[in-house]
Amino acid sequence: MSNIKCDHCHLEFTDAVMIHDGTYRFCCKGCQGIFHLLKDEGLESFYTKMGETTLAPPLEQFEASSNFDSLAFHERFVTHDQEGFSQVSLVIEGIHCAACVWLNEKALHKMAGVIEAHINYTNNKARITWDNDTVALSAIIDMIRAIGYNAFPYDISLQESRVNKERKEYYLRMAVATFAVMNIMWVAVAQYAGYFTGITQEIKTILNIAEWALATPVLFYSGWVFYRGAYYGLKNKTITMDLLVATGASLAYVYSIYITLLEKGEAYFDSVAMIIAFVLFGKFLEVLSRKNAADTLDIMAKHIPQEVNRVEEEGIKSVSVNDVKVGEILQVRSGERCAIDGVVISGEGNFDESNLTGESEPIFKRQGDAIISGTTSIDALLQYQATKDFAHSTLSALVNLLENALTHKPAIEQLANRLSQYFSSVILVLALITFGGWYLYPHSFDRSLMVAISVIIIACPCALALATPVATLIGLALGAKRGILFKSAAQIETIAKATVLVVDKTGTLTLGRPEVIKEEITPSGAIDYLYSLVSLSNHPISRGVKAYLQKQYEVREYPLQESREIPARGIVARIDGVMIAGGNALLMEEMGIVVDSLSDASLFYYAIEGQLCATYHLRDLPKEGASQAIHHLQKSGLRVIMLTGDHPSAAHRVAQEIGIGEVHPHLNPEEKALFIQKLHDRGEIVVMAGDGVNDLLALARADIGIAMGNGSDIAIEVSDVVLLNDSLSSLVEAFTIGKRTYGLIQQNLGISLIYNSITIPLAMMGYIIPLIAAVSMSLSSLLVVGNSMRSRWMYK
Amino acid sequence: MDSWVIAMMLGASIFLGGIALIAFLWGIKNGQFDDETKMMNQVHYDDESELNDAVNQERKKEELRKKVYKPE
Repeated sequence: MSNIKCDHCHLEFTDAVMIHDGTYRFCCKGCQGIFHLLKDEGLESFYTKMGETTLAPPLEQFEASSNFDSLAFHERFVTHDQEGFSQVSLVIEGIHCAACVWLNEKALHKMAGVIEAHINYTNNKARITWDNDTVALSAIIDMIRAIGYNAFPYDISLQESRVNKERKEYYLRMAVATFAVMNIMWVAVAQYAGYFTGITQEIKTILNIAEWALATPVLFYSGWVFYRGAYYGLKNKTITMDLLVATGASLAYVYSIYITLLEKGEAYFDSVAMIIAFVLFGKFLEVLSRKNAADTLDIMAKHIPQEVNRVEEEGIKSVSVNDVKVGEILQVRSGERCAIDGVVISGEGNFDESNLTGESEPIFKRQGDAIISGTTSIDALLQYQATKDFAHSTLSALVNLLENALTHKPAIEQLANRLSQYFSSVILVLALITFGGWYLYPHSFDRSLMVAISVIIIACPCALALATPVATLIGLALGAKRGILFKSAAQIETIAKATVLVVDKTGTLTLGRPEVIKEEITPSGAIDYLYSLVSLSNHPISRGVKAYLQKQYEVREYPLQESREIPARGIVARIDGVMIAGGNALLMEEMGIVVDSLSDASLFYYAIEGQLCATYHLRDLPKEGASQAIHHLQKSGLRVIMLTGDHPSAAHRVAQEIGIGEVHPHLNPEEKALFIQKLHDRGEIVVMAGDGVNDLLALARADIGIAMGNGSDIAIEVSDVVLLNDSLSSLVEAFTIGKRTYGLIQQNLGISLIYNSITIPLAMMGYIIPLIAAVSMSLSSLLVVGNSMRSRWMYK
Repeated sequence: MDSWVIAMMLGASIFLGGIALIAFLWGIKNGQFDDETKMMNQVHYDDESELNDAVNQERKKEELRKKVYKPE
C-alpha cells in the first residue's frame, strides 16, 4: 500500500491509520484542527508557500498559557515601548521554513490588538508588540499554539542587545567609509593625473573641496571609534593603535584643509579616508567574530525543567519549580528530568546520571537514595522528598557557576595588540623628531609639518590592523571546511599557545555507549526473539546488544506478549508460550540460572525457558584513531590529562589503551572545573575537550573549550570550538590550524614591520608625496592579504 | 573649459550618491538586513495582500494609539 501525505504536516502514513475528513487526510487530530483553523482564517495559502517542506506534528500538551498573564511574568519579560505598547521577546518552536514565519506573522497580525509581530527566521526569535488593554498575552500565545507552534519567553539580556547594537553600529560606519573612500579614489585619480601632466590650481581646488566633503564624514563619523579608543587609552595611560590612527588622520585632515584654503601644495584627504576605512575594516572583522555568550544562556535555560509534579492530598499537581519547598513530595516518571534535589521515599528505578557524573552505566535508586537534579529517570516511577529548594539544587547551582565562568573567561593578550602599543609610541616619537629636525635644520613650518605628517601616514597601521583579522579569518575558513568550528577568531591564536590538553573520557575519547566486544552463543539461541526483546528497552546495554545484532545478523522483530522491564535486572517477555529473559546476573540468579559473572566488562545474559542461550560482553570502547591522535598531540609538546567522573578501573583501562599517563577519575563537574582552574593558576594555557553536561563548567573555565559535535547542545554552546565530525583527528587538526594561523599572523606582522622600516626613513627624509603614500598603503595591505591567501592555497 | 562644469558634476554626483547612502543607512537602522535568511525569502511574500496587510497593521496601530492617548 502506498503512503499518503497528511494535508497539514506533509508526513507520509498509510491510508488506514489516517483521519478521513472529506477529501482531506490527516495524521492526527492536531493537524486536522490546524488545517481547519487556517482555512477559516483565510490563511490556507500557507500550504502552497511551504512547498515540499514537512512539519513536525503539533504537540498536544502545553502548560497553561495563563502563566503568561501573571504579574511575575510581566515583570520579568515584558517591556513597554515609547508609545505605551507592551513588548515581549519569544523563541518560537517548530519553525521549519520561511512559510512558517509568514504564517505566524500573518496569524498574529490578524488578531485585534497585536501591533507588530516580527520573527527572525535565522534564530527563531520573535518580538511581539501588542496593546495589553485590547488583547492578553495568553491569547497571543494560544494563537501561536493553535496553529501548531509553541513559544517560550526569553530575557533579552543586556549583553545580547549590546553586541547586536555594536555590530549594527559598525555596519553603518563601514557603509559610510566604503562609500566615501570609493568616491574619493575617483577624484584622487584625477588629482594624480594632474600631478604628472599638469593641472590648473582652480581645478585642483575644486577636486580638493570634493575630497574634503567626502573625507569629513569618514573621519568624524566612521572614525569616531578611533577617537573614542584613543581617549580611553590615554585615560588608562597607554598609547594605543587608535591614538596613532586618530592623530595621523586628524593631522592630515587639518593640514589638507590648510592646503586647500591656501591653494598650494598637495592635500592628503584620500589618505585620511583610506586609513580610517582599512583599519575600521580590521576592527569590523574582529567584532563580527566575537562570540555571543548571551545566546548560550538562553539555550541553557530551555534545558531546565520549569515544572515538577508535586504530590498533594488531592492528588498530583504540576507546579512551577520555584514554588516547591523543602520537605515536599515530588513525583518523577520515566523519561523526566529532575529539577530539584531530594531523597527517594517510595518506588525504584534506573537513573541516567551521565549528565553530571559522566558515569556511562545507569544508576539504580531505591528508597533512601539521593536524587540529584539534572539527572534523568530512565525507567523509574518514584516519589521523592525535596531536600533543597530549586535555587539551591545542584542544577541551578551549576547554571550559576556557568554564568559566572562565561562572563569571566580569561583573555590571552593577542600578539598584534601588544605589538601595536610599542609601534604606535615609536611612530609618534619619530614623527616628532622629524618635525623638530626639519624645523631646526632651516625649513618652513609648513614643510616640516608636512614631512612629519607623511611619516605618520606612511607608517599607516593598515597592514598591522589587517594582519591578525585576515589570518584568523582564513584559519576559520580552513577549520570550517574540515568540520572544525571556531566560534571566535581570537581563540585560534590562543589554541596555538596551549600547553595542556584536558580530555573527558566518556563520549570524547570513547564512543560513549557500550559496545559488544564478545559474544558467547549456543546454536539454539533464537536471535530474532532476542532482538525483539532488546528492542523493548531503552537501556544503553540493550541498545548496545540491539546494534550488535543488527550488524551481525539478519534480524526480524516479533510481537512479544506480557513483556515487562524489571528495574536494574532486565526484560522478561513471552512469545508463543515460551518465556524469554534478557538481563544481568541478578536476573539470571533470580530465575535460578547459574552464570559465571566474572568479567571486567558489563555482561548481558539471554535465556529461553530457564536455559542460558547467550552471553554478551559489553564495554565502552575508545574511538577509532584515539591513541594515534593523542600520541601526535603529546609529541607536539602538549601535556595530555584525562579527567572523568567514571570509576578508576574503567578510567585507567581506557587511559592505558590510548596512552595517557595522567588520569584523574571520579571527579564531579565542579572538581573538574577546579582542576582546570588550578592548572590555570599555575600559568598553563588549558584546552579542554568534552561533550557532556558534566563537562560544562570545565569547558567554560578553560581557555579553550572544545566540544564534540554530537555532544549535548549546551556543551556545544558553552565551548569555543566544535568538532562537527566528532573524531579525534579533528582535534589534532584544530591544533594544527591554530598553529598555522598563529604562524601566519607572525609572518604578516613581520611583513608590515619590514615594510615600515623601509618606508619610514624615506618619509623622514621628505621623499613622500600623497600618491606614494596612498599607493604604499594599499600595497602593504595587499602584501598582508596576499600572504594570507598564499597560506590558504598551500594548505588545502 | 570652464571649471564650474566639473564642480557641478562632482557636486551633483556626490549628492545623488549621498542620497543612496542615506537610504541604505536607513535600511540598516530599520533592521531590514538583520535576518539574512528571511530577507532572501521575502520576494516570495511580496504581493498585493502583503501591502494590504502592512497598511491595515499601520491603521490598527494608529487606532490603538489614539485609544491609548484618549483621555476618558
